[in-house]
Amino acid sequence: MKKYWIVFQQSFQNEFVYRLNFILWRFRNVLRILMTYFLWHSVFSSNSNVFGYSKEQMMAYVFLVLLVTSFVMSAPSNDNVGGEISNGTLNNFLVKPISYLSYWLTRDWASKLLNMLFAVFEFSLLWFLFKPQIYFSQSPTQLLLGIFLTIISALIYFVITKLAISVAFWTPENTWGFMFIILVFMDVLAGSIFPLDLLPKSVMTFLQFTPFPYMIYYPIAILVGRVDLITALKILLQSMAMLGFWYYVVMKVWKKGLKNYAAVGI
Amino acid sequence: MKTFRVIVRFSANSLQQVLSNVPVFLLFFFSKLVRYGLFLLFLILLFNGVTSVMGYSREQMLMFYLIYNLIDTTAQLMFREVYRFRPLIVSGGFDAVLTKPFSPIIRSLFGGPDFIDFGVLLIIVATTIYVANTYIHPSWLQIILFLAMIINSLLIAAAFHILVLGIGIITFSVDHLVMIFRDLTALMRIPVDMFTNPIRSILTFVIPVGIMFTYPAKVLFGLLSWQLVVVSFVFGGLSLYLSLKFWHYSLRQYQSASS
Repeated sequence: MKKYWIVFQQSFQNEFVYRLNFILWRFRNVLRILMTYFLWHSVFSSNSNVFGYSKEQMMAYVFLVLLVTSFVMSAPSNDNVGGEISNGTLNNFLVKPISYLSYWLTRDWASKLLNMLFAVFEFSLLWFLFKPQIYFSQSPTQLLLGIFLTIISALIYFVITKLAISVAFWTPENTWGFMFIILVFMDVLAGSIFPLDLLPKSVMTFLQFTPFPYMIYYPIAILVGRVDLITALKILLQSMAMLGFWYYVVMKVWKKGLKNYAAVGI
Repeated sequence: MKTFRVIVRFSANSLQQVLSNVPVFLLFFFSKLVRYGLFLLFLILLFNGVTSVMGYSREQMLMFYLIYNLIDTTAQLMFREVYRFRPLIVSGGFDAVLTKPFSPIIRSLFGGPDFIDFGVLLIIVATTIYVANTYIHPSWLQIILFLAMIINSLLIAAAFHILVLGIGIITFSVDHLVMIFRDLTALMRIPVDMFTNPIRSILTFVIPVGIMFTYPAKVLFGLLSWQLVVVSFVFGGLSLYLSLKFWHYSLRQYQSASS
């Protein structure tokens, strides 16, 4: 455990090496939220209730997207693991007494911590600039459930993206293609632009069986009180089952991938 | 004529490169279609719950989004080589570009068009024509002005990419600047009118993405005054002129340090 703590500390420090890059990255995250904010702001300028959402609930949803996205989707592993498989530097890790996936999970969490610190600052700044009225769930239990689900969402995100990247074991010249399509689906179906309960019920029921709504939509829906406590608990159990299933799949695929791995890039 | 022939050669090379890996081409092509399709679906669903947004109807909102994609995809198709400029500068490979009897700016802008975007562009154009024809019914004058505004938008896009190249020569860094431009343009998936001031004014007159993406659509709807049409063309010409000035300035700063 101690070695991962050292990896965590070093990765956190490492994030400060390219400060300008990091600040520009955070600036880009704020820009992305602006479109969603102003779209919904315009929608509510002539409507008081849209799809059962009050303006306060929707504004809370939009603002929480910034925080939840910063936490769940900050993952430097996405930019590195594929390359390390294809160019053969994965060898360095295979000979060390460290789990490669745990190593990158630790690095991701160091990045998440820094991104969250910035996201809280950005959240406060945007709130100060736009002064939206925000509504959160009044139940502390539900808020805790929402936070817990966000942590599980980050793990689901890690597992799914590593599964997509493991394609590199079989096609080292194409490490990004499959990942790109997963990110495209996540872009809309995770709920970062709109709450997914706008979708027809049948589509929403289907999406429950995919990992996408667990990444952003469900945690925020619980935090803003869109679902009751019993439903929130049900979602939490579903998300844990989802994590368990995809973890099993990624471990199987990773094992097969390692057998196929020939360090061709070396 | 020589410039045109060389650009055709660049395009042919780029097309060959894309076709050398058809599965990857199809994967990216499909992904891009899904991305555009899902946002279109969202806009359609949104109007199941509301009748208008800031006075714009569902069809007008769809047109804003389609025209955004039309301009954005065309710019990406044409100026994709800018994304590969940094390695050229860092490695010193730009020296070889400068020594050839061909304009380095044309080479740096048009050296590698992206043909994955070409397939997507055809579908966007067809959809835009269909929606405009079925729901908007623009006059011939509006269509001609719209096409002129599209060319103007591409001039502004070219100006920005030239600015990025110039900054790349001076600072060795391009990647984040291009991506920030992409994020700024992505704001224009909705009309610039939806932003409150001062953000609206900044997005229209400081970083003229509003002129690039919202104004052509408004011309097509007949919602833009002739004064603003003139202002748009002035912005287009001026931004290109200033970016070329900056390009020449940055070339004088180039020290070929990496070669």
